[in-house]
Amino acid sequence: MSKRTKGEPGTRHAIAGKPVPLVDGIEKVTGKALYTADLETEDALIGRILRSPVSHGLISRLDVSKALALEGVRAVVTGADCDHTYGVIPIAMNEYPLARDKVRYRGEAVAAVAAIDAATAELALELIELEIEELQAYYTAEEARAPDAVLLHDDKPGNLEREVHHEFGDLQAGFSNAAFVLSERFDCAEVNHAQMEPHAALAYYDDERSRLTVHSVTQVPFYVHLMLARCLNMDASRIRVVTPFVGGGFGSRTETLNFELIVALLARAANGKVMMRLTREETLITHRGRPHTTVKLKIGMTNEGRIAAVECETVQRGGAYAGYGLVTILYAGALLHGIYDIAAIKYDGYRVYANLPPCGAMRGHGTVDVRHAFECMIDRMARELGLDPFQVRRMNMVAAPSRTLNDLMVNSCGLGECIDAVEKASGWKERKAKLPPGRGLGMACSHYVSGAAKPVHWTGEPHAVVSMKLDFDGGITVFTGASDIGQGSTTMVALAAAEILNVDIARIRLITNDSAVTPKDNGSYSSRVTFMVGNAAIEASKNLRKILVAAAAKKLDANPEDIICEAETFSVRGSEQSMMSFADVAIAALADDGTINVKGTFTCPPEAQGGKHRGGAVGSTMGFSYAAQVVEVSIDPDTCLVTVEKVWAALDCGFAINPLAVEGQIEGSVWMGMGQAISEETVYANGLPVHGSLLEYRMPTIVESPDIDVTIVESIDPLGPFGAKEAGEGALSGFPPALVNAIADAIGIDMNTLPVRPDRLMEALVARRRKDKITARNSEEVS
Amino acid sequence: MSEPMPPFELSRPQTVGQAVKALNALPEGRLIAGGTDLIANMRRGLVESKNLIDISAIAELHEMEFGKDGLRIGAGVTLREICNDMRIRADYPAIAQASDGVAGPGHRAAATIGGNLCQDTRCIYYNQSHWWRKSNGFCLKFKGDICHVAPTGRRCRAAFSGDLAPALIVHGTNIQIAGPGGTRRVAIAELYNEDGSDYLRLAPDEIIIAVHLPAFNPMAPVVSAYEKVRMRGAIDYPLAGVAVSCRRSNTGEAELQIAVTGTNSAPFLLKNVSPFNAGDGLDNYLADLSKLIQKQVSPQRTTTAAAHYRRLTAAAVAQRLARKLLLESSSG
Repeated sequence: MSKRTKGEPGTRHAIAGKPVPLVDGIEKVTGKALYTADLETEDALIGRILRSPVSHGLISRLDVSKALALEGVRAVVTGADCDHTYGVIPIAMNEYPLARDKVRYRGEAVAAVAAIDAATAELALELIELEIEELQAYYTAEEARAPDAVLLHDDKPGNLEREVHHEFGDLQAGFSNAAFVLSERFDCAEVNHAQMEPHAALAYYDDERSRLTVHSVTQVPFYVHLMLARCLNMDASRIRVVTPFVGGGFGSRTETLNFELIVALLARAANGKVMMRLTREETLITHRGRPHTTVKLKIGMTNEGRIAAVECETVQRGGAYAGYGLVTILYAGALLHGIYDIAAIKYDGYRVYANLPPCGAMRGHGTVDVRHAFECMIDRMARELGLDPFQVRRMNMVAAPSRTLNDLMVNSCGLGECIDAVEKASGWKERKAKLPPGRGLGMACSHYVSGAAKPVHWTGEPHAVVSMKLDFDGGITVFTGASDIGQGSTTMVALAAAEILNVDIARIRLITNDSAVTPKDNGSYSSRVTFMVGNAAIEASKNLRKILVAAAAKKLDANPEDIICEAETFSVRGSEQSMMSFADVAIAALADDGTINVKGTFTCPPEAQGGKHRGGAVGSTMGFSYAAQVVEVSIDPDTCLVTVEKVWAALDCGFAINPLAVEGQIEGSVWMGMGQAISEETVYANGLPVHGSLLEYRMPTIVESPDIDVTIVESIDPLGPFGAKEAGEGALSGFPPALVNAIADAIGIDMNTLPVRPDRLMEALVARRRKDKITARNSEEVS
Repeated sequence: MSEPMPPFELSRPQTVGQAVKALNALPEGRLIAGGTDLIANMRRGLVESKNLIDISAIAELHEMEFGKDGLRIGAGVTLREICNDMRIRADYPAIAQASDGVAGPGHRAAATIGGNLCQDTRCIYYNQSHWWRKSNGFCLKFKGDICHVAPTGRRCRAAFSGDLAPALIVHGTNIQIAGPGGTRRVAIAELYNEDGSDYLRLAPDEIIIAVHLPAFNPMAPVVSAYEKVRMRGAIDYPLAGVAVSCRRSNTGEAELQIAVTGTNSAPFLLKNVSPFNAGDGLDNYLADLSKLIQKQVSPQRTTTAAAHYRRLTAAAVAQRLARKLLLESSSG
C-alpha cells in the first residue's frame, strides 16, 4: 500500500481521496468485459489487410480481380477507394488509409479484403497482384537526411517533417557563469506501447439509410469519428462510434489508425458488417510508438550545482508519415522547462522521415528520452563536482506559482516532497556507500503535463463536457465520452459526482463512449482526463445539486443556503428533524419539468495555453505532475544482466481522488519505464520488424518486476479537481535515468544507449577492460 | 488475434504401435503432444502437414519409473511434472533446472520432454509470419534458397533452442525410439545433426518414446546444474544454455561433462574437456575451459542479441557452474 504526504491538512472530502476499486473492475477480472474483438461476429465478414512487401516504392500495378472473383470474398478495397488523407494534426495529414501510388514502409496497407472467414480472406490476399517499382529506402535519420536522399514526401525537403529552433534566456551568459560544462550524446531505441489488447475494429454499414457504426479500441473516438467522415466522404451525423472496454492504450490509439478506416471502407463496399482483428505483428506495424531518438545535450553547472544553461539537439526518426510527429518534437523541447528553474535553454529539434512504421504518441510523449539524457548528465555532473544528487535537484526545482521561460504555467509543485520521500524511504544516506560490489543506487526526477491546454483539434469548444440525467428512479446517470483505457477515468468521474452530490457511488451509473449518447470528448491522451473531465464532472454535479437543493428548500420551506446534504439526506441547518431522503428530493425536483438533464464543462483559460512563439501551445498545461524515484540494481558479473531489485517512487499528483488507481498508475509508469530501460526495443531487418511478437519484443515479465514502494504527494493544485493533477505518466521518464545512474554506481560505467541490454553492457565492460589494459601497459612503459 | 489456424485432420492413437502405423501411412504427418512449439509454427504457416497425430492419449508415454537400471521418463511427461519431481531435483538437478527454465508456467504444464527434444530450431528469419518471410524471399530452412544469417554458407544456421537436451547429455542419457521395426536406443547426442533445417536424426515414421537416465549412485554421485542466458527471466529461449555434470573419482580427480544449447544448430557435448585435479589450480582450469567453449560454440545472428555476447556468456556460465560444482563436490 502506498504512503501519502498530504499537502493541505484541511482538505477533507467524504468520498474523494479514499481508495476504491475501479467501477468497471469486476467485469475485467472476471473475464466478462467485452473488448472490441469479443463483440458478436456471427453475421460479420472477416477483414484482412494486404501489406507492402517493400520499404519504399511506386505501385506500378495492383490487380484485385482474382481476389474479387474468389468464392466467399465480398469486398476488396484499395487506395483507389479513398482519396482523402487522414491524420491527427490538421496541418499534417499525409497518410492514406490504403496506399495510393506510393508505399513508404514495409507493412503499409495496400489493399484489404472482406470474406466469409479468415482462411478465405487470407487466400484472397495471395491472389492480389501487386507490382512495386522500388525506391531507395532509409532506415536511419542520418541516411534520410543525407543531401542526396530521395524524398519520402515531395513537400518535405531533407525528409524533415518539422524543425524546431527555440532559444530562451541568455545562453552565452549562462554558459559563462558555469564552472563545469558537459556535453554528451544519448541514443534511445524506438519502443512500442505493447498494450495487452491487439488492435481490432468492427464496422457495420447500412446502405438503406447510409449509416455507419464503428466499434473500435480507440482512445480518441471523437478523432476517429472526424476521420471516418472525412475519408468515407460521409456526413458526420450518419456515423456512430462506440468504444467498448479497452485493453490498454498508452498512446498507441490516440490518433485514428488505418485499420479503423479500412474496416469501414470494407463494410461500405460489402454493405454489411466486417470484423477486423489484427495480429500482434500487425499491431506492432501499426506502431505509433516512441521514435528512435538521439539527444545531444550540453549542460553548464556552477560549482554549487545550479544549472546555468542548457543546449539540446534532438533528432527523432519518425517513420514514414507525420502522425503526431511535430507535437512529439515540440514536446521534447518544451519539457526541458517546467521542472527546473534554468536561466537559459536552447533547443533544436529535427523530426525526420524514414521508411519505417510511423511513430506517434507514447506515455510520456516527447519528454522521456530528453529527460533521460538530462537526468543522467545532472548525476554525472554532481558526481564530478562532489555534490549530492538530491541536493542538486532541490537547488534547481521550479517554484510555484511561476511561469517558465517558455511561458508555461506552474501553479503547484511537490517535487521537493517527492525527493525527500524517496531519499528517506530508500535509506539512501545510510546504504549508498555500503552496498556490495555489483549493486548500486540511482535517482532521477521527472514531470509531465496534466493535459494539453490547447487541443490538437482546436474548435473553440469547451475542453470537456460531462452531462447527467436524474430520473424517476432516483438514479443518476453520468455521460462521458472519455475512454477508460484502464487508468480508471470512469471511476474518477463517478467519485467526483458522488463527492459533490453526497451520494453513495452505487447510485451513479456511467454511460461512456458512444457518440450516439455521450457528449463529445477529445479523448484519453496527454493525461487530460482527470483534470478536464474531472472538473467538468464537478461542474455538472454542482448544477444538479443546485436543482436538488432548491427542490428540498421548497419542500422544507427553507432557504436554499440553509439546506445541507449529507449521506443522501437533505435537511435544514439548525433544525435537523426536518429531513428528506434523496429519493424524495429527486421526486420533488422532477415534479415541475420531469426528467432532469444537466451538464458541466471545462475550458482551459488562455493563460494556460502556452507562449506566443511558434509551437508554443505544445507543453502548455493546467498543471505539471512531479516525480522522483530511486532505483536499486544488481549486475550479474558473468552475464551483465541488470536486475532491478527495488524501486522507490514518489509522485505529486496534486490530490489522489482515488489513491488505489493513482498507486497503480505510478507502478505502471515505473514498470513501463523499466521496460524501455532494460529490454524493450524495436529491431528492423531492412525495414521488416524482427520484433513482431511478444517473444522478440521483450517487455519485462513478472520475474523482472520489482517491488515498487510508492509515495503519493499531494500539493493541491489550485485549479485541479479537488486539487488533482495527472498521475499516469509523470513517473515514467525518471526510471531510465535512475537505472543508468544506478548502474554507474554499481560498476562505474556510464551507459549512453537505451535499452541497457546485457550484450551492450558487456560490450562496454569489455571495452573498459581493454582500455584499462592499455593504460596499465602505457604507464608501465613510462615508468 | 493470431494468424488463422490452417485446417488439419487429427488422429488420436491409443498405443505406440498405432502411432507408428499412422506415421508410416502418412509420412508427412506431424506428432503433437503439448503443442507449444507446433501450434505456434502452424499458425505462422511453417508447417505444411495437414495431418496431426495426437499422441497425448498413449498411456505408456506418460509413465515415469525409477528402477535399478535408472530412471525412465516417458516422452509425454510434462516439463512441470519433471521440475516438480523431488527425486529428479535431488538426483538429476540439471534436468529439473532445465525444465523449470522453459518458457512460462502455462507452457510447462503442456509441454513434454519428447517435444522439447524435438523442438524446431529457431531463427529471427524463420520464426516470423508468412507475410514477413515472403517479403524477405523466404529462407533455406523453409521454401527459400538462401540463409539470411550466413548468405555465403550452404546450410541453415537456425539455432537449436531446447533446454532439456544439454541437461540430458551431461547425464549420459539414452533415447528410446520406436519405429516400424521395433524400438532402438541411442545416446542422446546422436539424435542431432549440426544443420538447422535437418537437425533431427529420426526417420519419418519414428517416435521418441522415452529417455533413460543411468541410476544415481550414492557411492559415486554425479552432481549437475543447468543455466540459460536470456534477457528475461521467463518466456525467452536460451541465447546460450549450459549444463555441467561433475563426478569425483576416489583419487579426487573430477570428471566434468559440459553440454551447450542455443548457440549451434544442435545441442552438443563439449569435446576435449580434461578432468580437474585440485593440484592444477581452479582458476587456470576454468580459464582453459572458457577458451574451449569459446572455440567450440558457433553462435550466429539468429537472435537479436549479439552473437559475440552469446559466445562470451556461454563460457562465463560454464565457468560459474563448473566452479560451483567442483567446490560443492569437494566439500561434500
